[in-house]
Amino acid sequence: MRPGDPCLPEPGPDCVVSARSLIKQYKNSDRPALNDFSLEVREGEFFGLLGPNGAGKTTAISILTGLFPADSGSIRIKGMSFQDHEHEIKRILGLVPQDIGLYDTLTARENLSFFGKLCGLSGQKLAERIQQGLEFARLTEHARHQVATFSTGMKRRLNLAVGLLNKPQLLVLDEPCVGIDAQSRHLIHNQLQEINRQGTTILYTTHYIEEAQELCSRIGIIDNGRLEEQGSPTALLQQSGIRNLEELFLHLTGKELRDT
Amino acid sequence: MLKIFAATAKELLLLRRDRTGLLVLFLMPAILVVLITLVQENVMELTGQKKTQVLFLDLDQGDLGRSLQKQLSTTTLDLVLWDEKQKDIADIQAAVTGGGYQVGVVIPKGASARFTEETARLFQQGTGSGKPREMAATTVQLFVDPGIMAGLRSGVIAQLEMALTTIALEAKLAQLGGVLAQTMARAGMEPEQSPLAGDKLPALFRQPLLDLQEHQGDSGAIGASQYKPVQQNVPAWALFGMFFTAIPIAGSILQERNSGIWIRLTALPVSPLVLFTGKALAYMGVCLCQFLLIALIGAFLFPFLGLPAFTVSMHPTAILLTVVLSSLAACGYGIFLGLTCNSYEQASTLGSTTVVAAAALGGVMVPVYAMPQVMQQLSIISPLNWGLTAFQDLLLRGYSLSAILDDLGRLLLFFAVTVFVSWKLAGIRK
Repeated sequence: MRPGDPCLPEPGPDCVVSARSLIKQYKNSDRPALNDFSLEVREGEFFGLLGPNGAGKTTAISILTGLFPADSGSIRIKGMSFQDHEHEIKRILGLVPQDIGLYDTLTARENLSFFGKLCGLSGQKLAERIQQGLEFARLTEHARHQVATFSTGMKRRLNLAVGLLNKPQLLVLDEPCVGIDAQSRHLIHNQLQEINRQGTTILYTTHYIEEAQELCSRIGIIDNGRLEEQGSPTALLQQSGIRNLEELFLHLTGKELRDT
Repeated sequence: MLKIFAATAKELLLLRRDRTGLLVLFLMPAILVVLITLVQENVMELTGQKKTQVLFLDLDQGDLGRSLQKQLSTTTLDLVLWDEKQKDIADIQAAVTGGGYQVGVVIPKGASARFTEETARLFQQGTGSGKPREMAATTVQLFVDPGIMAGLRSGVIAQLEMALTTIALEAKLAQLGGVLAQTMARAGMEPEQSPLAGDKLPALFRQPLLDLQEHQGDSGAIGASQYKPVQQNVPAWALFGMFFTAIPIAGSILQERNSGIWIRLTALPVSPLVLFTGKALAYMGVCLCQFLLIALIGAFLFPFLGLPAFTVSMHPTAILLTVVLSSLAACGYGIFLGLTCNSYEQASTLGSTTVVAAAALGGVMVPVYAMPQVMQQLSIISPLNWGLTAFQDLLLRGYSLSAILDDLGRLLLFFAVTVFVSWKLAGIRK
């Protein structure tokens, strides 16, 4: 069954993210960024949203995390809509934006402390989460250093640690490994898998196919604002009869360059 | 509330790390207030609010010159006496037209004798019914710098004319007294019976019969001072500096918007209003420190520079409230700029242009009353005008808090409107 199909069944009780027929058209664009986009992510899943540049990944993530609304369609996060339960959804949501969301002239600890306080943490609990965040990002020794002095890998790790401060039930990551070295990427992958094993549902966008294949229990391939296919990597390959995921990706999204 | 304080603490940390930016925020108004006040001290001389130096060349060295010096000694004119043996009319003309002095007065040679002669002839024309003969007035020469302000020119000329009229009137009365005494003697009356007896005449003449009493508006304030550039400039340039904080506020918002920070903040369970309030509180602290610095410069540095000291003895609570609400208005404008503009370049250009325009319009650079009528009417749209008017009402006119509530209300409303619009813009920007 194709996503977006009107016959798509009602989301089950284990459905963390349920998006139906989302349409988003930017004012300065002649084609919709999301065009009848539907998606379901179930409890405990590590879901990878895979797509070429300009496919609509960031738009989808932004709408699914309530950063801005879709023109039409519906979204439920753990059964709650943003219209009625925005605050509650934000409490269980962790977002790691594609651009580094850190203050350059604050130290790692100060960044964690500020965003932790905005998550409603204080006192001993905040101190513990800050320490856990520093350890998670392997930045304990650099806790008092300003972020401006960090390498891209260190910034990406801290960016991720900040997204985990509120111990989210749903962690949404928008291309968190862009521009970093193999060591930092390896560390982030391992830690994300560990977080997922501990029960956190993860929605992860990337355009690295091998990354999606390595990490994700299910994959959705998005192009031109639509979810073209979704399923486990193995199931998708079996269904298509294509040998590897990259070929399937190119088969679904075409070989034309995407310069948007 | 904790989230507001967290945002404030973060903003203060960011400011502390940007020492250059912080230094500019404090140095810029500090330098401006010192420079402008020093410059305006000279303007005060030019506008007659301080004693104006008048070159005085007495080529006659007679009674007329001495009487004129005596009369002018009680005016706001400061006579600089030139030696008639070393200087002549050409020198005084050159000094005045060259801009070295604004006014020069010359008593020509023989002026006293001519004046005495003409005064004596005044009552020798007889009492017939014929038309009085035209008298030959004794001329005192006046040189005025063509670049002098019209108000000062009128003021100086009025004082000189008043002095000359007084001298002429005293001479006329003395002459009349003499004529009257002679007439009474011819009629067999004692000269002491004359109402214009010579010795009493000057004292009688100076008795005030009409008095002009100046009132300080309806404030009933005690200690309200005359216009002083220090009392005007300290709050004016402090306000200017405070409103310039709008640019770093906008910059900090744009830095957040143009990085992943804004996205992260939007995804957190916190309202933009909380973040705006936290930011405003931090920058309000900066504005208060700016005002304190400028006030301290005015109070303690100015006397060392030969300027009068700035005083805030009247209504310190009202002044503090004015500073707080002006700061809030400045912060609100900064937040608005941060949400309206798309880049720091846009915000800094728009911010500095609008703040300078609002300062000019608001009376920071030129007092509102000195502007054309249209500009005076327009000045009421400038938030800097509201703040400055409140300060002037408190510091110059001696009004109390109740008199400035309308201006404070406007500043508060401006903050509320800018923050509300910014909040809505933040929603639209999503």
